Amino acid sequence: MPTLKIDGKEITVDKGTTIIKAAEKLGISIPYYCYHPGLSIAGNCRMCLVDVEKTPKPQISCHIQCQDGMVVHTDTESVKKLRQHVLEFLLVNHPLDCPVCDQAGECWLQDYYMKHGLYDSRLDENKVKKSAKAVPIGPTIMLDSERCILCSRCVRFTDEITKTGEFGIFNRGDHSEIGIYPGRELDNKYSGNVADICPVGALTDRDFRFKCRVWYLKKTESVCPGCSRGCNITIEANQERPQHGRGERVMRLKPRFNDEVNDWWMCDAGRYGYKFIDHDRITEPIQRLDSQVKVVEWDEAVKNLLKSFKEILKKSKDEVAVFLSPQMTNEELYLAKKLFVKELGVEEVHLVRTNIDGDQDDFLIRADKHPNRKGAELIGFEEDERKIKKIIDAGLKGKLKALVLFGQDLVSFYPDRNVEEMLHHLELSVFIGSNHNLTSEHVQFVFPAATYAEKDGTFTNFEGRIQRIRQALIPLGESKTESEILMFLARKLDFDWPYQSQEDIFDGLRRSVSQFQRLNYQKIGKGGIKVS
Amino acid sequence: MEKLISRFFKIPNASSVSVYLEEGGYESARRALKEMKPEQIEAEVKNSNLRGLGGAGFSCGMKWSFVPRNTGKPIYLVVNADEGEPGTFKDKYILTYVPHLLIEGMILTAYAVGIHKAFIYIRGEYEIPYLKLKEAVDEAYGKGFLGENIFGTSFHLDIVIHRGAGAYICGEETGLLESLEGKKGFPRLKPPFPAVVGLFGCPTVINNVETLSYIPFIIKRGSEWFAKLGTEKNGGTRLFSVSGHVEKPGVYELPMGITLREIIYEYAGGIIENRKLKAVVPGGLSAAILTADELDVKMDFDSLKAVGSMGGSGGIIVMDETTSMVEALRVTMQFFAHESCGQCSPCREGTGWIYRILNRIVDGKGRPNDIDNLLDIGKYLGGTTICALADGAQMAFLSYLKKFRSEFETVIPKQNKTYANA
Amino acid sequence: MSVTVFTPEFKRRADQICANYPVKRAAALPVMRLIQEEYGAISGKAELEIADYFQIPPADVRELMTFYTLFYSKPKGQCHIQICRTLSCALLGAGELIRYMEEKLGIKAGETTKDGQFSLDKAECLGACEIAPMAQINKEYVGPLTKEKLGKILKQYYLGVRD
Repeated sequence: MPTLKIDGKEITVDKGTTIIKAAEKLGISIPYYCYHPGLSIAGNCRMCLVDVEKTPKPQISCHIQCQDGMVVHTDTESVKKLRQHVLEFLLVNHPLDCPVCDQAGECWLQDYYMKHGLYDSRLDENKVKKSAKAVPIGPTIMLDSERCILCSRCVRFTDEITKTGEFGIFNRGDHSEIGIYPGRELDNKYSGNVADICPVGALTDRDFRFKCRVWYLKKTESVCPGCSRGCNITIEANQERPQHGRGERVMRLKPRFNDEVNDWWMCDAGRYGYKFIDHDRITEPIQRLDSQVKVVEWDEAVKNLLKSFKEILKKSKDEVAVFLSPQMTNEELYLAKKLFVKELGVEEVHLVRTNIDGDQDDFLIRADKHPNRKGAELIGFEEDERKIKKIIDAGLKGKLKALVLFGQDLVSFYPDRNVEEMLHHLELSVFIGSNHNLTSEHVQFVFPAATYAEKDGTFTNFEGRIQRIRQALIPLGESKTESEILMFLARKLDFDWPYQSQEDIFDGLRRSVSQFQRLNYQKIGKGGIKVS
Repeated sequence: MEKLISRFFKIPNASSVSVYLEEGGYESARRALKEMKPEQIEAEVKNSNLRGLGGAGFSCGMKWSFVPRNTGKPIYLVVNADEGEPGTFKDKYILTYVPHLLIEGMILTAYAVGIHKAFIYIRGEYEIPYLKLKEAVDEAYGKGFLGENIFGTSFHLDIVIHRGAGAYICGEETGLLESLEGKKGFPRLKPPFPAVVGLFGCPTVINNVETLSYIPFIIKRGSEWFAKLGTEKNGGTRLFSVSGHVEKPGVYELPMGITLREIIYEYAGGIIENRKLKAVVPGGLSAAILTADELDVKMDFDSLKAVGSMGGSGGIIVMDETTSMVEALRVTMQFFAHESCGQCSPCREGTGWIYRILNRIVDGKGRPNDIDNLLDIGKYLGGTTICALADGAQMAFLSYLKKFRSEFETVIPKQNKTYANA
Repeated sequence: MSVTVFTPEFKRRADQICANYPVKRAAALPVMRLIQEEYGAISGKAELEIADYFQIPPADVRELMTFYTLFYSKPKGQCHIQICRTLSCALLGAGELIRYMEEKLGIKAGETTKDGQFSLDKAECLGACEIAPMAQINKEYVGPLTKEKLGKILKQYYLGVRD
């Protein structure tokens, strides 16, 4: 275990640790472009050069391993001058695109110039022209090869992570250019990540193009609900300049590093699957009476619902079914169990999917397209396809009186059964969900629910890792979180529930699930915890 | 001055195995394989003070000693026949006129280090040298000097000739390895060094053609004799490639201690039309230029280093009084900018930037602070990159500006095109 | 050019080259050179075939094509003249020779004459400074050159005297 000094501070590290990682541990940040902890070392940007005593010239800290007795200097005048000059070299052929470049505000050339540059340009020559200016290289990414600083992160990403090898660096010297094979596309399921890792505006996200300046974005840590992997993400929403949002609040999602779940990456389906938060939302409670559709106030809607519900529960409790979804948070599932199973004694409370199984790969993507199936299992709900079909068939035969859905689109899932008719013949049908679908058009009561971006809570991923989601936005329109809805119902049914916050609910939850016994929100923190 | 390698250049058909054998060829290899131990060969080479003649001037024997012998991985020998350093053409002569000498040197090297597979990376533009080399390798196989049971011993060695495809950077050791592995010639990060992690991840010995070609002589006549031919720490003779404004451009084999003056005036016939010497490139384009009053320097690696230049590849380019140093530098930087692989920011952007400034100056559009800017830019060109291309560019570049600054200043801002752009 | 390069016969020859190396990909440069010598250039289709043969991404083949100066996407003329422009040759008049050739052939360096007879290129040091100023004409190293000598050589090629 070598011991070395960096800027006068001593540290002992594991054998094989590079200087840059040792410095990080000491809180010393050395600037870099090509280095990425998840990719192989390229050592080409030369930005991380530091002085190491007893060596003939500066060394790159991303590659050189710590040796016992090493003395490193990262902030001497000579190192600072060196950085300035490396930066100057990188800017020699870089176009002055800041005003039209999406990277502005999170651009490493800008950031390092302000921190390590601050020199007057003495460039008096024409810049080298490259061939691809604002060229889409696939459905998700735009390439501007003039802006590229040839750090090769994208090349290493497609070589080492997706193993699809789309990127190459063509030509040599200062005519070098990033590119894709002519006639081909960047078309793998993780393509969006290259815009994340590109330190400059050479590779930018087409979905995000010109949408919003990044300094207006409010960032909230959350978890992607697209599948059971539960990649850690950041929801980036525009709330300062709503007039630029084109009616959308969420501008983009970005992966958040978690070395136990998704490292630095997320798949494209998850990354671009945020539109439902601001589109096609159910924003008000709706009640259908015969063919009349009425928008109602929450109080009235709940009152009407409970009147009908209480009667059915008195007479034919065994002909009531509630379909919970693996998209609900642990807290919501716990409350639903408490309300429907414990307090109301409904027998047919089942876990029913809202999404069909999809693709799966050997990287991040899971076939189960719900974030909390494991959580539901731990709380006591498992999906039983046979039982669900039995209930639907019972409904078709008129043997079902009331059905409560949490977002499931039964009409689309069971095209071979006449679900619409079944719904019309129920005495009571309730849909609680965030977005319209074919089923929500055929029920009596539609209650607008909040999306995952609009609430706190926890999901448990397929490996049993419980992770927190945090509220990024206020529920749209009149929508409420499922927790709020369930507590609303409980209140109106005169149940005395003591919960003031999601944290309170979790506290109740953990007492009833042995795997969650020792947990609380603090412990779960930003990275989650694996439960057995 | 006894000629060792270059003696063969004048012998008709020395490239054929029969003539080579007549001239005493393969004697050293035969004796070594039958009577000597590998360690003995390595010791002889070390003691001979033979240094890398491709450009780096590193002790050949010491380089071999860095190769770990017990990793379980095969050890490879790679011969650097890329000869891309401008002003250098001596390996071409060895490959064309006495390729068996190289093969014999390779056999000795392979035997010393425990190598059974060798690759000769020859620059793609060389046609006749390649054909001659190929012929020689085939002949050697035919005679049982390559392949299994060489000279009837249990030693075996295979040689594969690998042709390059046009890139100076593939003359850099690790750039060569990358190219040999079927990729672009991007030099690798060091450490690890090729001796430990080289070709296909295995320990590798890389040597220049000429370096290996001296080994049969060392084994035949002893390391002491070879060391004495040269200077204190730089043994033997070397093939100097002389070109430019001299009467008799060509390859001259001379002892390490010879002076530059002697090479130019006593061997290469002096300056054409008896003109005055203005500057000399002493060791390939990457070496700092020397002026007329620096000609008494000895041409061994250490002496040249002491005067701020380098022995490099032994490529001597002579420039007489008609030369525009501004134009000469422009051509020089054009070369480096064109050959930069493009990995490292300082080299990729710096060589091109400097070249464009020089173009502007040659075009008569120089600006008053150009020279100071150039000096500052040049300062960070070297010592900051993965490989030494930028270091070479820097050394050459700064030497022009230092030693001929006034000439550059004269060209700014007047219109002063000397000879037009090449 | 939409000719298939990797015919069974060619594949056999390529396989033979690959057998020299413990890693197949190392044979990329020799195989590509072989294709170029047979077909005069490496077409886009050939690039894809090469990628498939070596099981490497097409982008990697494109990298090799654009990095190395000796690989061409389009064939050169019958007579390919590459004039060296590095220091020794520049000192001895390479610049003038290049301009002379551009004038005589009516093309700029990097181009081919319309009738496909001549291609002109500037080259960096070819390792023949002792015969500076020199050029590589097809495979041959020729020098020291003068305008007259170059003119003569051109005539010979144009008249089909040399092959």
